[in-house]
Amino acid sequence: MSSTGDRRDVSDASVNAIDFITADESLLRVENLDAGYGDLRILEGIDMNVEDGEYVTIVGPNGAGKSTVMKSIFGLTNQMGGTIKFDGEEVSGKKPDNIIHLGLGYVPQSDNIFSSLSVLENLEMGAYILDEVPQDRLEEVFDRFPILEERQSQKAGTLSGGQQQMLAMGRALMLDPDLLMLDEPSAGLAPDLVEDMFDRIDRINEAGTAILMVEQNAKVALQRCDRGYVLVQGQNRFMDSGDALLNDEQVRQEFLGG
Amino acid sequence: MEIAERYSAGKRVLVEHPAVALLGAVLLYLLSDLILKTANVSIAPWGVHLIGGQLPVSNLGRFVLDGLIVGLVVGLAGVGLSMTYGILNFANFAHGDYITTGAFAGWLTAYIIGFLTLPVDPPFGDIFLFAESSLVSVVNAPVAIVLGLVASGLGTVGVVLLLDRWVYRPMRDKGGIPLLIASIGVALALRYAIVFVFGTSASGVTSTSDIPQFEIPLGDGRIPLDLHEITLIVAAIALMFGVHFLLQRTKLGKAMRAMADNKDLAQVTGIPTERIIRATWIIGGGLAGVAGFLIVLERGVISFNMGWRLLLLIFAGVILGGIGSVYGAMAGGIIIGIASRVSLVWIPSDFARVAAFTVMILVLLYRPEGLFGGVKTA
Repeated sequence: MSSTGDRRDVSDASVNAIDFITADESLLRVENLDAGYGDLRILEGIDMNVEDGEYVTIVGPNGAGKSTVMKSIFGLTNQMGGTIKFDGEEVSGKKPDNIIHLGLGYVPQSDNIFSSLSVLENLEMGAYILDEVPQDRLEEVFDRFPILEERQSQKAGTLSGGQQQMLAMGRALMLDPDLLMLDEPSAGLAPDLVEDMFDRIDRINEAGTAILMVEQNAKVALQRCDRGYVLVQGQNRFMDSGDALLNDEQVRQEFLGG
Repeated sequence: MEIAERYSAGKRVLVEHPAVALLGAVLLYLLSDLILKTANVSIAPWGVHLIGGQLPVSNLGRFVLDGLIVGLVVGLAGVGLSMTYGILNFANFAHGDYITTGAFAGWLTAYIIGFLTLPVDPPFGDIFLFAESSLVSVVNAPVAIVLGLVASGLGTVGVVLLLDRWVYRPMRDKGGIPLLIASIGVALALRYAIVFVFGTSASGVTSTSDIPQFEIPLGDGRIPLDLHEITLIVAAIALMFGVHFLLQRTKLGKAMRAMADNKDLAQVTGIPTERIIRATWIIGGGLAGVAGFLIVLERGVISFNMGWRLLLLIFAGVILGGIGSVYGAMAGGIIIGIASRVSLVWIPSDFARVAAFTVMILVLLYRPEGLFGGVKTA
């Protein structure tokens, strides 16, 4: 056990957890984060870390502040305390266009494409911070999502829900991020597409990109991930491997519907 | 059978949408009146003039051409208004005075260069205040006109960027209404700063004595067209194509469209939003300034409230085209311009604006989002 004290408010579910490295070399390291909107405090003392290539999910009831964690990492909330380090660098107070440079990609939950731009233009915007659109990345994205190549000159708003989600991910992958943050990638998808979407996320992770994912679909998300956090009312309640959380009696009763 | 079907469909429209039927009847009347007039046919049974009359095709052509000229200026200036609405979400009432600013910056430059190059010898103060009237034209001082055109754009860009820095940027997150009200203040401040220097009387600035006139034969007559009008038409259309190229082909233009489409996503995608806003002001302000220069070139007269008077037409064009859409602003401006001039066939020129706004209202009744609404382009 490497107990560095960061997990102080993570409850007993994690006691028998396998060894989670929480050393300084974490890819993403959130410590004691307080954040919200305006004067409204939503997150209280959040500790969270993601290692290189790790697949981490955040689950929890509605209004627990899951999305707020991601927005805070990206500097879109009012941070009231704590630190957020990415790749060893403090990102609090940095603007999104600087954070992206560090290798952090973010796919918001809704409105995550430019619907009046073509599919190709959406992907080009994903690489805006580079001087030129990296053709090799574009090809990788097209290999990953062939439908986007087929429809590259179509207006993004005319894509189906699943295709739009792929485009949103493709846009974020244009910079080959070290960590991809996905906010509810299965939201609004037809049930038969949900599995497919999770398969695609698995493959992105297998290719070496760490994933931090917020998911309403808690059971599926926990089955897929390496590790999960259960957020309740803006606080970490549980943290453990996905399987351990799935098998934890309390977590199942309270958050997974038995 | 088919006739019967059409008859019943027509009857249904008449009963269910009497307003549509009435509107259709009025439009049909105006159209047939126009056709009869150009055919020089008048129908006046028992001495009551019903329809038709006399209107040579070339006169109608001149109305359309006038309308196109006004419309191009309105459309060109409208691009900036629509862009700033799309990207900053507020209706900028100072936009009309950006036009005036451009006109004064450009013509001052043209006058100074004219003073240096033309064989005239008035005191420099007369030049500076346009007191020496009707000095330059495309023919006698083409360099002055070109540099004036450039200066109208650059000068307006400078003023617009300063205003953004001092007024709009500090209020960026305060919402559309406070910004709109601030922009009215900016409009008045700009206008009366110009009055403070140049006074309230209109000055003639272009020399028309030596510029070539052309005539386009049409029907049994000719449409007169002079070189200043041609300059305006060519410059305005070239700039519109330039805007199109910028929006569709360049990284900056695509980022502007992306930002107009979805500001939050643009931010998390890493598009530097403040830089895009600045570019929007530069392009929109520059086009407004150039539009001001061009309309003075065509009309020959410059005055402190010219932009303000154009602003209503510009708003009409932008709203008609679908506010936020650049192509809508161009198309809407041209439609408004042509409507306001062709209406002169039936109504006195004092009412030309009424016609323009009637067209706008009618279009909005059936397409509330505007012609290009929902198809955000920037």
